[in-house]
Amino acid sequence: MRIQVNARNRAYRFDAAPGEKILYAGLRAQAGLPYECATGTCGTCKAKLVDGKIADGWPAAPGRKYLKPDAGEFLMCQCSAEGDVSIEVASFVYPAEPGAPRVMSRSGAVREVRPLTHDVSAFDVELDAPCEFEAGQFMAMGAPGVAGLRGYSMVNYAAPARRLSFVAKKKPGGGFSEWLFSGAARGARLSMVGPLGKATFQPALAKNILCIAGGSGIAGMMSILARAAAADYFSRYKVHVFFGVRTMRDVFFLDELAAYPKADITIALSEEDPPQSARLRFERGLVHEVAKRAMAGKYQNVRAYLAGPPPAVDAAIRVLLLDARLTTDNIRYDKFS
Amino acid sequence: MARPLVCRVADVPENTLKECEAEGGRKLVVANAGGEFVAFQAMCPHQDVPLCEGLFDGQTLTCHMHLWQWDVKSGAPQGIAEAPLERYALVREGDALYLGGESSALDVGELFNGLGPALIEKLSALAKKESHPAGAQLYDKGDPADDFFVLDSGRVQFLIGRDPAGFMLKKGEIFGWAALLESHPQRIASARVIEDAVVLRINGKQALALLESDPASGYVAMRRLAGLIARFFVVAGAK
Repeated sequence: MRIQVNARNRAYRFDAAPGEKILYAGLRAQAGLPYECATGTCGTCKAKLVDGKIADGWPAAPGRKYLKPDAGEFLMCQCSAEGDVSIEVASFVYPAEPGAPRVMSRSGAVREVRPLTHDVSAFDVELDAPCEFEAGQFMAMGAPGVAGLRGYSMVNYAAPARRLSFVAKKKPGGGFSEWLFSGAARGARLSMVGPLGKATFQPALAKNILCIAGGSGIAGMMSILARAAAADYFSRYKVHVFFGVRTMRDVFFLDELAAYPKADITIALSEEDPPQSARLRFERGLVHEVAKRAMAGKYQNVRAYLAGPPPAVDAAIRVLLLDARLTTDNIRYDKFS
Repeated sequence: MARPLVCRVADVPENTLKECEAEGGRKLVVANAGGEFVAFQAMCPHQDVPLCEGLFDGQTLTCHMHLWQWDVKSGAPQGIAEAPLERYALVREGDALYLGGESSALDVGELFNGLGPALIEKLSALAKKESHPAGAQLYDKGDPADDFFVLDSGRVQFLIGRDPAGFMLKKGEIFGWAALLESHPQRIASARVIEDAVVLRINGKQALALLESDPASGYVAMRRLAGLIARFFVVAGAK
């Protein structure tokens, strides 16, 4: 199937396999199509059908609330072409950066599922073929018998990586996480598309880093810490990490975080008073408020990375724009939870 | 005809935003920028996100979705934003704000946006408003390039290089800019009306003379023109 995308600045033409989502086919062909969650919720990948026929894999996708369906609008991450199609994207689209990790369909097997808290587990996937990715990126992942894909950030960093580590929060009715927590996952085959996401860190950034994460949003920050440590980044730049959870029952990765003594790490507990700890700093409060108090006056040459539940990310954006006066290119996040 | 009522002054406290529906049905956002009321498009020009949900500090508006930013008084894009805000004139009478007229395509456009009302007014004086039906060919490759165009309404397809798809232009976008290049008397692209369109036709030499009389604004406009043309070279180099 031949896809033509008319963007505001130029046209792209690429082939899609039968059933392949138009977004994934475009990214695979190095067209930097707009997307954020890539899994049907955010609406960023909307496009307009000009000619041809498409099939919508998830007509109930929450991201469809951003569409004008009577104007022919659809989500590129959920629709595949049925024959040649021509579509229009309202924004500027640039070719993928040369040297950026290639987006493609990948497969592997779940090697380990290990509970971290009462509702968060870590799991590892051994890929059939090694994969390059940037610290902070995620995979759109599907499980056998579970409809649709869900985004999970890599926790580890290696280039290339044969084994990818993730964390997942158990969500009632969340098809993928219920499958993962059911016990059926170990050894199971997984399909995924990626790596995805623009909230990436490379040591060449040469800026101080501020990570604000809520809950399982800490996953991508762990990858950023691993990459920074491997490049001895801490000896040249400050790295501040704020990890927000409700109570001590919800916190995880304490040993892993304590393994970075040169990073400035704070755990924010929103619903109980913090314990005494010699290893890590604990504070009481919502993570964006704790970060706001601790970071006052320390925003020179800072790049911020945000992850977590969308209301927590929005609250952090507000602090960084209105209080910290960071410029927008120094605030990075991919809303996909 | 009476001006459409937009809202009451008290509806928009200082340094806040409010989405309003003007009489007649046009939706727009009214901002109170330190006591000055300005109105602009209700939806983000990037992804149609309601701008009333954005962050506003009294001067800069940030769309919360992908962090595009604008100075609300000029509509000028800042940071990573790729398009200006389409603004509307407001007229205050007592405690009420009325829509003062449609926004000017010249002010919406990326070339002249924010260059100041005086320059926009002089450019408007040079502009001839023309209506063209769908299917009309405004110009073709090799035609003499005397005038450039700013799209006011409708849809125009702009074809350049070997790319058969071309670009669908939006309100405020400029085409026929070869007329602003020195020693370039011929069209290097073609433009065709896709949906009935209203365009502003401006003579290139007259516009250049006007920009020369205001070098600071002229420099900004020429810098933007260079950026605009450079974008099309992505096409020329593409497979």
